[in-house]
Amino acid sequence: MSTTDPTAPRAGTEPGVAPPAPRPTARQRLGSVAWPEVAAPAALVLLLVGFGIADPGFLATGNLGAMLQAAAILMVLVLGQTFVVATAGIDLSVASTMTLSAIALGETYSRTSSILLAVVVALVTGVAVGVLNGLLITKGRITDFIVTLGMLSAASGLALIVADGKPTQVIDRFLLDLTVRGFGIVTWAVLLALVLTVLAHLLLFRTSFGTHLLAVGGSVRAARASGVRTDRVKIAAYALSGSCAGTAAVLLVGRVGASEPASNTSFLLNSVAAVVLGGVSLFGGRATIVSPIAGALLLTALVNGLTRFGLSEFYQPLAVGVVVIAAAFLARFDR
Amino acid sequence: MRTPHRSLVALALGGSLVLAGCGSSSDDGGSGSTASGGDTKVAAVIKGLDNPFFQAMEQGIDEQADQDGVDATVQAAQSITDTTGQSDKLTALAQQDYGCFVVNPISGSNLVNGLARISASDTPVVNIDSPVDADAAEEAGVDIATYIGTDNTEAGGKAGDEMVEAVSSGKVALVGGISGDVTSNARLDGFTQAVDGKLDVVQTVAADWERQKALTAATTLMQDNPDLKGFFAANDDMGLGIVQAVKNAGKADSITVISVDGNKDALQSVKDGDLHATVAQYPYAIGQLGVQACEKAAAGDDLPAEIVSPTAVVTSGVADQALAKFPAPFESFDNPLD
Repeated sequence: MSTTDPTAPRAGTEPGVAPPAPRPTARQRLGSVAWPEVAAPAALVLLLVGFGIADPGFLATGNLGAMLQAAAILMVLVLGQTFVVATAGIDLSVASTMTLSAIALGETYSRTSSILLAVVVALVTGVAVGVLNGLLITKGRITDFIVTLGMLSAASGLALIVADGKPTQVIDRFLLDLTVRGFGIVTWAVLLALVLTVLAHLLLFRTSFGTHLLAVGGSVRAARASGVRTDRVKIAAYALSGSCAGTAAVLLVGRVGASEPASNTSFLLNSVAAVVLGGVSLFGGRATIVSPIAGALLLTALVNGLTRFGLSEFYQPLAVGVVVIAAAFLARFDR
Repeated sequence: MRTPHRSLVALALGGSLVLAGCGSSSDDGGSGSTASGGDTKVAAVIKGLDNPFFQAMEQGIDEQADQDGVDATVQAAQSITDTTGQSDKLTALAQQDYGCFVVNPISGSNLVNGLARISASDTPVVNIDSPVDADAAEEAGVDIATYIGTDNTEAGGKAGDEMVEAVSSGKVALVGGISGDVTSNARLDGFTQAVDGKLDVVQTVAADWERQKALTAATTLMQDNPDLKGFFAANDDMGLGIVQAVKNAGKADSITVISVDGNKDALQSVKDGDLHATVAQYPYAIGQLGVQACEKAAAGDDLPAEIVSPTAVVTSGVADQALAKFPAPFESFDNPLD
């Protein structure tokens, strides 16, 4: 055992002056970077540069606007999924909840012609499904995977029943403006997604709720011992996911001009993929808002670029899958 | 707990790069099914290529473009329900310097946002197969140069006429696609009108365009109506499911099955004597006509508001010809764009 006094001055240094801290090596500096958290933004930058060099039109204002518009719905869904994953949960019903909320919007609008009421009903539907998920998980003591998998099917089925399997046209100036008007390339839908991103960031990192959320994700037992009402936090996380699904439903109906009972499974897969790309730990306790949003933008930019280059759509899901697996592989080094 | 400042910095860096890119507004076209020569660049956005119908449509677009020396790019949705994905593909292509767009929307309104941008730049749009909703298009200021597609009521009517010829009298059952689907309803209506007063339509069921569901439905219908003489299916996949059900019931000699589409499996089934007939519609020809219409529209020529694509009844007598020519029409048709 060493008996050296750590406070004693080293040879070659003046007494009473603390020795300079050893300079970290390049390896140490690289090791201190939270790679999973910076991977998505860094990859997004690389992708934009790469595609921009190969096709100058890729970074033209019109195409950037197109990418942002295409990403808006996914960005909103990703915010909700991030809150759930931060608690070490997962919401597999997010796309079906969006579909059900969209159907609720369409049916309300077709009966009342009030777009305001229809939007409110869509949001309430989303929150209701989220709260139900949360209650079944916490009070019913059922695994989140099973509950949300069941809800995926139940919400899809309910959407088909309510809509009688048929789409409902929703041709409304407000919804149309939401997706085509705005400030330059930033449409109102994109602006809404960006505002929600800022609010989500503040909620997660500037409120006690955010602290409690991450604590629950880290260890439910420890959080409960610290006085955190863990069930309430979990229910709130799923309610947030539901409200995001309801909001996304409004954007979806505006985008496609109809409420359709189609299952929209690609949104579920991409919402989880963006969260993984964003370095949010699937084991809970560690989260960020900006990186999953960068992940959503990355997935959208990837498909946009491949479309512009004329690559067959058969290869596009393959490319997305490779990117997600690569991100998950990177995340291994940050455990 | 650590606030992820690094992520914010990295995203800010990405944002600055995007802003730097905003200065560049040149839109180079992407690569696609390219052919040498020709000034018109055509972009086509169609439904999912997981379906042989749309694969034939893509083939028609590619081969017509190749023949005319036109640069054509074809993009498709991931599936028949991928409304937003299809919309995103159109929006991505809309930023490039295409002289004309051919669109086959999944729903009446899912491409309207992208089409609004295209129409705003006075680029012509040719609508094929599934129509863009007129009200949605008007609201968004979308201008459609022409619509090219099958007259589904007429296709159903041809099937009805063939059924009357084959059966002459008795009970028939109808198997439609998804309940309330416009295409399915048009085909069923056309058939019903053609057999009105000649045959007795005992029941109409929905089998969601699926072979297995049609097989199950047909089995039940035969049990409920032992004296059934014929089935009409709104598409070939369901027709082939019904053929299997009829075989399983040992009634292949007494029940006539007719369907619509003219896909390769159905043509082979007609040749083999299982399916009595299929009313072939030609997605290949629809694709070809789409490219031809685009060329004319881009050149500033006037186009008719609607162009009806060809359909033909394929029975065992002409099944060999139809298979030999597949996916092209085996009969010549009056092309208003020639």
